Amino acid sequence: MNILICGVGGQGTILASKILAESAVIDGSDVARTGETIGMSQRGGSVVSHVRTEKTSSPYIPKGSADILIAFEKCEAARCLPFLKPGGKAVVSLSEIKPVAVSLGVMAYDSKAMESFIKTYAESIFIDTEKLAAPFMDGKCTNTLLLGAAFGKGFINITEDSVKKAMEKLIKPRFLDVNIKAFEAGIEAVKDRGNV
Amino acid sequence: MKESESKMKINLLGNGAIAMGAIAAGVRFAAGYPGTPSTEILETLKSNEYAKNIHIEWSTNEKAAVEAAAGASYSGVRTLVTMKQVGLNVASDPVMCLSYIGVKGGMVIVVADDPGPISSQTEQDTRSFGSYAHLTVLDPSSPEEAYEMTQYAFELSEKLSRPVILRPTTKVCHASATVDVSEGVYDYTPSGFVKDPKWVIFPPLSYKRHIENFKMYNTPEDSVYNRTETAESDVGIVTGGVTTAIVTDILTDLGVKVNRLTIGRPYPFPTEQAKAFAEGLTKILVLEELDPFIEEQLQRCVNIKVCGKYSEHVPAAGELKYENLINIICNFLGINAPGTAPINPTVTLPTRAPVLCAGCPHRASFYAVKLASKRKKAVYCGDIGCYTLGNAKPLETTDTCLCMGGGITVAQGIKTANPDTDVFAFIGDSTFFASGMTGVANAVYNKHNITICILDNRTTAMTGGQPHPGTGATITGAETVHIDIASVLTALKVGFVRECNPFDLDSAVKTVTAAAEYDGVSAVVFKAPCIAVAKKPCSYEVFDCIGCKRCINELGCPAISLAEEKAVIDPVMCYGCGICETVCKPAKIRKIGGDV
Repeated sequence: MNILICGVGGQGTILASKILAESAVIDGSDVARTGETIGMSQRGGSVVSHVRTEKTSSPYIPKGSADILIAFEKCEAARCLPFLKPGGKAVVSLSEIKPVAVSLGVMAYDSKAMESFIKTYAESIFIDTEKLAAPFMDGKCTNTLLLGAAFGKGFINITEDSVKKAMEKLIKPRFLDVNIKAFEAGIEAVKDRGNV
Repeated sequence: MKESESKMKINLLGNGAIAMGAIAAGVRFAAGYPGTPSTEILETLKSNEYAKNIHIEWSTNEKAAVEAAAGASYSGVRTLVTMKQVGLNVASDPVMCLSYIGVKGGMVIVVADDPGPISSQTEQDTRSFGSYAHLTVLDPSSPEEAYEMTQYAFELSEKLSRPVILRPTTKVCHASATVDVSEGVYDYTPSGFVKDPKWVIFPPLSYKRHIENFKMYNTPEDSVYNRTETAESDVGIVTGGVTTAIVTDILTDLGVKVNRLTIGRPYPFPTEQAKAFAEGLTKILVLEELDPFIEEQLQRCVNIKVCGKYSEHVPAAGELKYENLINIICNFLGINAPGTAPINPTVTLPTRAPVLCAGCPHRASFYAVKLASKRKKAVYCGDIGCYTLGNAKPLETTDTCLCMGGGITVAQGIKTANPDTDVFAFIGDSTFFASGMTGVANAVYNKHNITICILDNRTTAMTGGQPHPGTGATITGAETVHIDIASVLTALKVGFVRECNPFDLDSAVKTVTAAAEYDGVSAVVFKAPCIAVAKKPCSYEVFDCIGCKRCINELGCPAISLAEEKAVIDPVMCYGCGICETVCKPAKIRKIGGDV
């Protein structure tokens, strides 16, 4: 599977990507690869993590070939949509983080147009992460919650048990429980919800 | 001798794989200076259970790291030095000389290059540096290969008695893969330092070594990392680094087989192997990021058409991504690129450049200097770190940025050429220790008249928060002497030295004003910790906003945005620094939570 995770630097995309790669290996993949954005962009810039759970040589997903897009922010979802393959799925946070240039009035953030663009090209589900993730360390578990939503929809062919094992391995013990709860809340949130 | 050969599968970043390779190879001394994309190598070592017997340090800069490691290598200890490509410029003095003096214990210098560039000042190519310095360069194409190559590099270094450069690029350093890691650690007893004239670089010795190096690197042994794969085709593709991996995927996707030459050891270049590869072929395509290094080597030794950067088949700069490469390859092979139907956005998306974090003390420091120099002719000389982001709107307080430590010295030239202008130099605390102090001495000694603003946030922030000599802790968290920046400045005879809290805006502005008025070298140390190392004190909220936008237009804090023409503060992003409360003239921004 090719999974693309995108968001804004500081949102925790890298942990989500590590969890997916780790759980894929626990689930029996020979090799999982990720490609991360680490560096200057982590300071509030656009960040993307590529996750590949089947044998490839390169960790980077070509445009038009991601099976699923997990977006932590709406504008970043729209920016990364060209990575999705035809019929690809998208799990998108409704969160809007406006770049400073937008607040300064130099650029526009057309939320409605972004949403309709995403809906036109992807089988997508939008998640109100601000509301749903609030109970889990003031929104700091948005990453594990969104992973939960993707699993809840059955978009990712890795077992839930492997994901939890991966979380045990990668998350500090004192934050593990709250992250597992956020993951489960993500699964719960998409139950009985059709795709948009 | 490896203790055991059992293997375990671990998901590792390329940088983690290099660290694990060094552990397996018995590294005992590891030093470096943080720099994207190399930082995670030492950080992996720091937290690894097998690394307990390794001396690990963040050195003050790359030159210090190489020199300290050289001393350990002279004593038979296996050493690792890590840096980013521009760090090699700082370290180039000892590195160039070490190619003559040589080493005893294996010495691997990891220099991470950054095609794009993504987080760097330059797109320089360490393969070219290796050729210039006469040092072997290994160029891994994946984390797995980086793990193997690191171990091989230590062996090779001891065999040649020279340092070996391992040159991963960003997309190897920051990619992860499942790596088979061996649990054994190479065990040996270092010889200790043995006195010998060979450790003293004198002209006659350099002459002798220059001849040795010339012979050694012009008649290299074959390397397993330079691989030829033949196919029923009259054309060939030559690749190096991560491009090798991407091209493998592309040829699989296209279902095409061509002759391939993979260059994993670009210097010394495998001339004979390349000649043999070209025999019977009609043309060759070279795909490599950064310099046309392989391309130039091939131009020298083969007589067939070589397509690459000089022939404009391949772009001269930037990363080579799958999408570019597939088009270049199809064009070269004369086949149609597979018809992909890319999704074209029907909406214009705002770009999202990196910004100073909400609550970042640099924002307050820049703002204080901006207010203090309002209505005056002023030039702001920046430096390398998070605070380079001070150039963005609305702060616009970075007019120049050249290289590590360059701000203080560039300021001196600007002031000399523009005597009617107030010139401010900004530098972070880690950068100050890395390469700022000599510039301060120059300013004092040569009677320059500038104001130095030290942004002391108690960490090396841009690379993720590493300690430095001003933090009182070493890489392992152990307590150490804290070198006080204001005391250093005073010792360097800076005439005006003051410390201030940038969030106490009025007082900070007064301090900067006095510093700017001082005739001679003045310095203000802005002391406030990076939000990544400090606890969030509280949040702020806007009550009955009148929509004047002053907070947004003055500060450009990412936590403040407009909703229906009124300012709103994102409670998750807000770090409670309170600078917006100070700036809000109608006094509509107030503290919530924390110790109200």
